[in-house]
Amino acid sequence: MSNQSVVVIGGGPAGLREATTVAELGQQVTLIEKRSYLGGMPIAENYSNLTPYFMQADEAMGAIISHLQSLDGVTIMTDTTVTACTGEAGNFSLAVQGKDGPASVEAGAIVLATGFQHFDPGRETQLYGYYEFPDVIALQDLEAMMKEGNIVRPSNGEPPKRVCFVQCVGSRDRQIGNEYCSKVCCGIASKEAIEIREALPDTEVFIFYIDMRMYGYWESQIYWPAQEKHHVQYVKGIITEVLPKNGQLLVRGEDTTMGRPMEVMMDMVVLSVGMEPSVGTREMSALLGVKQNKYGFVEAVNAPLDTVTTSQAGIFAAGAALGPADLEDCTSSGGLAAAKAIGTIRRSMAVAG
Amino acid sequence: MATITMDPYYKAPKVAGFADVPGEEKERLIAEVVADPRFHDYLYGCYECGICVAACPSARFYDFSPRLIAQAAARRDVELMFQQMQEDIWECSQCFSCLRCPRGNNPGGIITVMREVAVNNGLASAREALEGYSRIIYKIMSTGTQVSPDMLQPDAFPDWGPEVADVSESLALWRRALPPETHHTTTTGWAVADRTLIELYLIWLETGALDMISQVDEGLHMILEEVMEERLEEEGIER
Repeated sequence: MSNQSVVVIGGGPAGLREATTVAELGQQVTLIEKRSYLGGMPIAENYSNLTPYFMQADEAMGAIISHLQSLDGVTIMTDTTVTACTGEAGNFSLAVQGKDGPASVEAGAIVLATGFQHFDPGRETQLYGYYEFPDVIALQDLEAMMKEGNIVRPSNGEPPKRVCFVQCVGSRDRQIGNEYCSKVCCGIASKEAIEIREALPDTEVFIFYIDMRMYGYWESQIYWPAQEKHHVQYVKGIITEVLPKNGQLLVRGEDTTMGRPMEVMMDMVVLSVGMEPSVGTREMSALLGVKQNKYGFVEAVNAPLDTVTTSQAGIFAAGAALGPADLEDCTSSGGLAAAKAIGTIRRSMAVAG
Repeated sequence: MATITMDPYYKAPKVAGFADVPGEEKERLIAEVVADPRFHDYLYGCYECGICVAACPSARFYDFSPRLIAQAAARRDVELMFQQMQEDIWECSQCFSCLRCPRGNNPGGIITVMREVAVNNGLASAREALEGYSRIIYKIMSTGTQVSPDMLQPDAFPDWGPEVADVSESLALWRRALPPETHHTTTTGWAVADRTLIELYLIWLETGALDMISQVDEGLHMILEEVMEERLEEEGIER
């Protein structure tokens, strides 16, 4: 007999939306999360406010988590990893390792929502000194500072007078191997730039970019206000290297539209790191035998009109496990994955009679 | 307001033949531009997309870019804006093709403001740029019309061919051949009613438009002021 439960692996925005939708449709759902808490990257990496609506991350994630917990038919397993998977669509059996030792979870369909990780800016050809200079930080480091309401230079605890963002760190780079655009960094950098200007009105903020990719409404939600209201300076040209000089950071690049090389002093440099498949996405894809693309993200085999179906029948993916995605992409694909998973279960029940 | 003027990558301003001025003076001039009530509506944010350059007739013939005007202003780049005030802004024909901007910027409008600040402060570039226009300014401000027919002298316009000489010889006759009676003039572009001229004089005096002339051509200013005040006195108008 086929199993009527959906298993969701990963408790971030996509997994939470997916599990919530399954439960709202009246189906059993088990959410398996490796960490000891739900919420995914917004919680794990201390995001302050979410892009583009400036909602507090804790509050927004807290609301969806408590909604999920209030629904019937929901089993949440934190501190739990999947160690093996057998069976087929309609009848999967997952071996899991949890707090209380190994266990088995049955499922009619599986949704992979294992997400992304931030690109490590200390890697390989990166000349930004992320691990050398304390005042070189990444987007998520600044989020954590903003969450504490304390934007300061890590080197001396003083508020920075000049901050710059360097876009496309770990994205769109053949040398690194990440040829894709990470989609969200332009918006997040602009959002953070606004927040710096609001918190520290005398601080100058620059964004050095290849081209600004502000999809849809992000244009008027973040980009235009950053430029027009908050006077964030956007300079087209990417920084080649960051060097220490007189207690500050010298950033070198080209001011391309002005047609001149530039060397500018900064108090703090924020690297707009891109997205890479998380360890969980890589491991679970391999374990479940779903096809990954050359970057390690789960391949959606029926794209573009079906964004969640993987190479394995009965196994779907949602969120940033599928590739760079913003929150709206994640929750949208989470909803679709829920529908596809339930569809699989109902069809196998009909066949089983 | 963010500014990136003090950076080492900013080259020394190569001001076109004019003596450099102290940094505080540049700051003061640019502050005057930015404080202009129109400035806010003329500049939002710049994509640096170049559509204004593509639309700009001057950009095809001069080393001139309305994009650089908007960019320098958006960055509050004092050095570059000052350099532009000495040079670039005089290469604009004020046709406002640059209003095509998707962000709603008005580089030509920024130039209008920069020109006014340059003129009001008697910048050498403003004086030089307007030098050739003394006769025209005199004509416009004293008569209320533009270039008059009798200014078109045959020796000054050889490229117009032999017809100019013929027309000049019997100018009044040619003018009377024009259908509108208001064009039967030779010393003014068209006939101007007394009331209109008085109003224009008052506008130029009251708005400070005439005072702007004093910064670039003191002699011309004196002549115009005398012409206007004398006429107003005749009309019994006290200011």
